Amino acid sequence: MADLYIKRGHNIQIAGTPVKEVVKAKTPSSVAILPTDFRGVKPKLLVKEGDTVKIGSPLFHCKSNPSITWPSPGGGTVKSIQYGPRRVIEKIEIELSDSEESESYPSFRFNEISGLNRVEILDALQKGNLFPFIRQRPFNKVADPNTTPRDIFISGWNTAPLSVDLDLALRRRLSPFQAGINALQKLTDGDVHLSYNENSVSDTLLEVEHVKKHSLQGPHPAGNVGIQIHHVAPLGLTDLVWTVNAQDVVRIGNFLLTGKLDTTLFATVGGPSVTSPTHVKTRMGVQMSTLTEERLSEGNHRIISGDVLTGKTTDQNGFLGFYHSTVSVLPEGGDREFMGMLRPGSSKTRYSLTNAFLGFAKDKFNFTTLNNGSERYMVPINAWEDVLPMDILPNALYRAILAQDIEEMEQLGIMECDEEDFALCSFACPSKIDVGGTIRDGLDLMEKEG
Amino acid sequence: MIKFLHKTLDKYRDHFEPGGKLEKFYTIFEATDTILFSTDEVTKSGPHIKDSIDTKRVMILVVVALLPLYIFGAINVGFQNAIAMGLERTNGENFWFGINQILPIIMITFMTGAVWELLFAVVRKHPVSEGFLVTCALIPLVMPPSIPLWQVSMATTFGIVIGKEIFGGVGMNIFNPALVARAFLFFTYPARISGDKVWVAGPDGYSGATALAVPAAEVGQNAQSLLEGVTQFDYSWWNMFMGWIPGSIGETNKILIILGALFLVITKIANWRVMVGSLLGLVGMATITNLLAPFSTNTMLSLPAHYHLVMGGFLFGMAFMATEPVTGCHTNQGRWVYGILFGMLTVIVRSINPAYPEGTMLAILLLNAFAPLIDWFVVQGNIKRRMARYAQ
Repeated sequence: MADLYIKRGHNIQIAGTPVKEVVKAKTPSSVAILPTDFRGVKPKLLVKEGDTVKIGSPLFHCKSNPSITWPSPGGGTVKSIQYGPRRVIEKIEIELSDSEESESYPSFRFNEISGLNRVEILDALQKGNLFPFIRQRPFNKVADPNTTPRDIFISGWNTAPLSVDLDLALRRRLSPFQAGINALQKLTDGDVHLSYNENSVSDTLLEVEHVKKHSLQGPHPAGNVGIQIHHVAPLGLTDLVWTVNAQDVVRIGNFLLTGKLDTTLFATVGGPSVTSPTHVKTRMGVQMSTLTEERLSEGNHRIISGDVLTGKTTDQNGFLGFYHSTVSVLPEGGDREFMGMLRPGSSKTRYSLTNAFLGFAKDKFNFTTLNNGSERYMVPINAWEDVLPMDILPNALYRAILAQDIEEMEQLGIMECDEEDFALCSFACPSKIDVGGTIRDGLDLMEKEG
Repeated sequence: MIKFLHKTLDKYRDHFEPGGKLEKFYTIFEATDTILFSTDEVTKSGPHIKDSIDTKRVMILVVVALLPLYIFGAINVGFQNAIAMGLERTNGENFWFGINQILPIIMITFMTGAVWELLFAVVRKHPVSEGFLVTCALIPLVMPPSIPLWQVSMATTFGIVIGKEIFGGVGMNIFNPALVARAFLFFTYPARISGDKVWVAGPDGYSGATALAVPAAEVGQNAQSLLEGVTQFDYSWWNMFMGWIPGSIGETNKILIILGALFLVITKIANWRVMVGSLLGLVGMATITNLLAPFSTNTMLSLPAHYHLVMGGFLFGMAFMATEPVTGCHTNQGRWVYGILFGMLTVIVRSINPAYPEGTMLAILLLNAFAPLIDWFVVQGNIKRRMARYAQ
């Protein structure tokens, strides 16, 4: 029996599901950190091109909050710092040296961690540049060490298409995971909540202690931490909670145990364009080509860092995003079909949450990047509501955001929302409206005005 | 042939794109282009993949659901004419007579509709909305077969321009454009869309009261036995269900309407909550009026619920008009209320106001006006629930 059944939502049956085994990825020659991954952060550089850095050395801090610093995902020399329009720093690339060194910070024995107090843990994480791994809700941005969260939420279950099976990624990592949990426990006055699939067989998830566990069942976005917060302990207007990715809990634990930044990352490479979709053991901020090379079929592809619903478009030479552990590859575009709107369509040619096409066998579908229509005004056939498992009226909220009515947005619960939880709404919308993007605009407006 | 079309479109694309000679008419080009060939537009950012459904498909499926009604409508127009003229005809001959009668209505509706839609699309620079296909497909079905063509054109114009375009097009309108068109005729030219002279394409002055008008015209009698007493038409329940009765072109055959409704529910284009709510509302309200019947001389009050169901345009309105997503309620709870009120109002208008024996049209238009209010209450309920949680 699961504690929580998420009823609404949908698991998109996309082709190219990663097999449940882990292969070792190629060693990259360079890794990078992309400062645009962090909402609202204006980076102040602490290194310049040509500098030598070690794994875990600080690369930049946040201009508005210098107590948050970002760690280098690799050891070597700073190869390039790439600026975008209006001098926004888009990328800091580090060319790895053969003898990669790690910055050493104070380490603790396992039993010592439980004896540390909040200030000591905060101090260790800040000095070790690990704070960016902790994010806060509302706004889903890097947490501020000067605040105290009501609770901390960790999702032990990925439901996004083609994402990492955490049972695999956390296998035999109980000890660092527990160390991470013990440390996070000190940072909040409330609880550390861990949610996982009721069918999980992970030793780590099932045996870990000092957390409030919630077993879950249901379709995507049940694994999204925002949905879990909403169902376990919804955010009030003044509440603040922190969230950490499960793999990053291990990272925090390992850091405290060894004093070194653990760059290990379990990732997936999948999607219709991938010939051998699989889980890979790689490292943070890795170059895409090391994951996709020799795995893609012929043709023109879109390589996405992240899942197909919320990821960012990149290419072979791009890098994996800071919070991403999925690489999705889709065929770009497609043919124009004569009288497409009248064709019955089969399960091979159409995929829909409605039954507007013939094709009831829900096989794995070869998605492309086709928009399947043009943007139109809202025609509310309940497509959004059917895939949003929250007590939120998406239609009313969307209108309030368009009207920039801050008071109403707040009343309708925007502070509990994040764009990733609305990605399925954009997927299913017959008018091709970017619902998630509008939620993001609304959150930006709330943050600016608030 | 297809390749030729594709090439021709691509050849002229430049002229319509910004900077081209015919830039103003881009929306018309885009409409033609995307009606012929599905769009090759790709997603810009996340989500990188999209559901195959689009508004074109949504709208075209409603039109598909309406097609059988046109065929039956044509046969029935011929059938009623045969009765009026005292002729013996086969169904094929009935269809031929009927299609000659209704095809001009259909053509004039679509031509008028297309002109206004394209004109507004060009002037207001909004994309040509597929919604006008549904509007234009609905209008002929709610017209009497003897309607003059110029009135159809006027009604379509009013429906599209006042019912839809002045609000900004499909998605922005508050009233169902097809019903606005019908209401326009109803109030400006009542002689051609009400009374008992218009429902049969027969000889001039041929009089044939619709089933609803029979009990509405009498005082102090039992509606059911009145209907069974009619000799000119067969107003038994079963025959009204089968649709061999005078009425608007598309509203008479209840089997095809129910199949169309099921089709829209199964494809998830129409919301079942509205439909189920409407049925509950109608049955509930009819039961109440039946209970009141002994205390009044109003014959309509004694009409049983299952008769209400098969008479007039209720089922048609329920399946294709009350479920219209834009002008109806936008929340699921709201849809229940909206449906129930629609069923109740239909019976109320039919019973209490015998001058307008057909209550469906007025009930839907009235509820279109109240849909945002119903939604407002649902939204306030949601807000209250959240605020109570925040306060804890």
